[in-house]
Amino acid sequence: MESAQHMLRTGRRGTLFEFSMALRDLITSWHRRGLAWSLAWHDVVSRYRGSILGPFWITISMGLMVLGIGLLYARLFGISVAEFMPYVAMGIVFFGLMSGTINEGCDTFVHAANMLSQTALPMFTFVWRTVLRNLINLAHHAVIIISVIVIFGLWRVADPLLALGGLLLTVLNLSWISLLVGIASARFRDIPQFVMSVMQFAIFMTPVFWKPDAFPDRHAFLTLNPFYHMLTTIRAPLLGEQADGLSYIVLAIAAVLGWALTFSVFAVTRRRIVHYL
Amino acid sequence: MKPPEVSIAVTDLSLRFPVYGVDAKSLKKNLARVTVGGRLGSSNTGATEVTALSNISFSLRPGDRLGLIGHNGSGKTTLLRALSGAYEPDEGQIEVRGRIAALLDLSLGIDPSATGVDNIRLRGRIAGMSTKEIEDKMDEIATFSGLGPFLAMPMKTYSAGMQARLAFAVATAVEADVLLMDEWISVGDSEFKQLAHRRLLNLVERAGILVLASHDTELLRLYCNKVMRMEGGIASEVKDIRRIDELLAAA
Ligand SMILES: Nc1ncnc2c1ncn2[C@@H]1O[C@H](COP(=O)(O)OP(=O)(O)OP(=O)(O)O)[C@@H](O)[C@H]1O
Ligand SMILES: [Mg+2]
Repeated sequence: MESAQHMLRTGRRGTLFEFSMALRDLITSWHRRGLAWSLAWHDVVSRYRGSILGPFWITISMGLMVLGIGLLYARLFGISVAEFMPYVAMGIVFFGLMSGTINEGCDTFVHAANMLSQTALPMFTFVWRTVLRNLINLAHHAVIIISVIVIFGLWRVADPLLALGGLLLTVLNLSWISLLVGIASARFRDIPQFVMSVMQFAIFMTPVFWKPDAFPDRHAFLTLNPFYHMLTTIRAPLLGEQADGLSYIVLAIAAVLGWALTFSVFAVTRRRIVHYL
Repeated sequence: MKPPEVSIAVTDLSLRFPVYGVDAKSLKKNLARVTVGGRLGSSNTGATEVTALSNISFSLRPGDRLGLIGHNGSGKTTLLRALSGAYEPDEGQIEVRGRIAALLDLSLGIDPSATGVDNIRLRGRIAGMSTKEIEDKMDEIATFSGLGPFLAMPMKTYSAGMQARLAFAVATAVEADVLLMDEWISVGDSEFKQLAHRRLLNLVERAGILVLASHDTELLRLYCNKVMRMEGGIASEVKDIRRIDELLAAA
C-alpha cells in the first residue's frame, strides 16, 4: 500500500492498525537497509576522522586491558596464562559489543531527532544503524580474538560456526533491548544514566574477567543474568568448550518474548516518539 | 506501467503536540490573548498539549503551487512536516501520491566534519537516492555548487555561504513530484541567488506540486499560483494567488 510513490497517514484506527503500521515501518527499513548501513558506516568513519588508527584505538585499549588483566588475574587466581588470556580477551571484546549496543541504543532516536521530524524515514532504520555500528566496531576488535586464537592454538579446537550462532542469538536480543531503551530514553531523560549504571554493574556481575568455576552448574547467580548466556554461547565454542544447552534455550525464548514486548511498545508509541524528542 | 497521478489530499487533519514536563495551568494566565502560536490546552489525560493544526482539508493536483501564509506559530511548518510524513495525524488523513522531497531544513543530515563530497553522498542516501544515482549526479552537484577543490575539504572549513551553497545544491538535486519548502531558501551572494532562483524554478516545473511556506508575499506571487492562510492551526480555503490581498486583509 505504501511505497516511495504513495504515502498514507491517518489518525489512530485501533490497535491492529497501529501494529500494521509498525510492521510497515520494519519492512520499509529492510527495503532501505542500504541507508542504515551507510549511516552506521558514516558514524564510524566520522567519529575517528583525522585519526590514523581510527577505531583500532579502541582495539588497542582493549588489547592492553586483555594483556594486563590476563597476566595479572592469571597470577592472582593461579590459572595458566594460556587458559586465562583467551578467556578474558573474548570476554572483554564481546561484552563490549553488548554494552555498546545497549548504551548507544539510548541515543538512537534522540540523535535522529532532526531527521525524524522532517522525513518519512522508517524509525527502524535508526535502530539498525546503532546495531550495525557496533558490529562494525566488533569487526575491528576481531583482531584481538583472532590473535589469541592463533597464539594459543585454539584454532585446533574452536568451533567458529557455533560461535556465530551464539553471536546471532545475542544480536537478536541486543537489538530489542537497544530499541526498548531507545524509546524509553526518548521519553525519560534519566534512562541513559540508569542504563549506563546497569551496564557498569553488569560487567562485574558477568563472568567477563573471572571464571564461574566457584559456582555450581546452573547457579541462579549465573542463569538469571542474560549477559552470562550471551557471552557463554559466543565464547565457549571459540575456546573449544560446549555452552550449556540451557543458555541457547534462554536466549531463544528471551528473543521471542523480548521482541514481542518491544514491538508492542513500539507499535503503541511509534507516532509519539518524534514528539518526545 | 504508467506512473500514478501526483496528488495531495488532506482530510480533516488535526495534529496536537504533547508537551512533556509542563503544566498548562501555570502557563495559561500569561496567555489571555495571543496572536501567535497554536492553541494551548489539556488532553483528556491531563497532559499539556498544543493544537498546531485543527480540521484542515484541502487537495492539490499536478500544477498546483500552493503558498502558505500566516503568523508565526500558525502551523505552516507543522503542516509541511505532516505532509512529509514525519508527523502522524491525530485525526484525519493525509494521502500523498508521488515522490516527496522536503526542503525544510538545509542542514538535514549534514556532518560538518565530513568533506563536501561525503556530505553529498550522505544527504543523497537520506533523500533515497541509490549510490549509483548519487555518483551520476555528483558532477552536476559539484559544478552547481561552484566549490571546486573545496569539495575535498571538511565542511567546517567552509564559510556560511559556501555551506549553504553545498547544502542547497544537494537538497535540490533530487527528482521529486511533490516539493515541500519552508521559508525561502535565500542563500549565497547575488550571483548564486540568480543561479538558485533558476534551479528552483526548474525544479518546481519538473515537480508536479509545490507547497511553500513564506512570509514574503512577493516571493509567493513569483512562485505560486494558489495560496492558503493559516491562523492558529486553522486553514482558510485555497484561493487563487491573485486574491492573496483578500486573505492578508482578513487578518
Ligand atoms: N516540537 C513541537 N513541540 C511542541 N509544540 C510545537 C512544536 N513545533 C511546533 N509547535 C507549536 O505548533 C504551533 C505551530 O508551529 P509551526 O512551527 O508550525 O508554526 P509556523 O507557522 O511555521 O511559524 P513560523 O512562521 O514562525 O515559522 C506553534 O504554536 C508551536 O508552538
Ligand atoms: Mg515555520
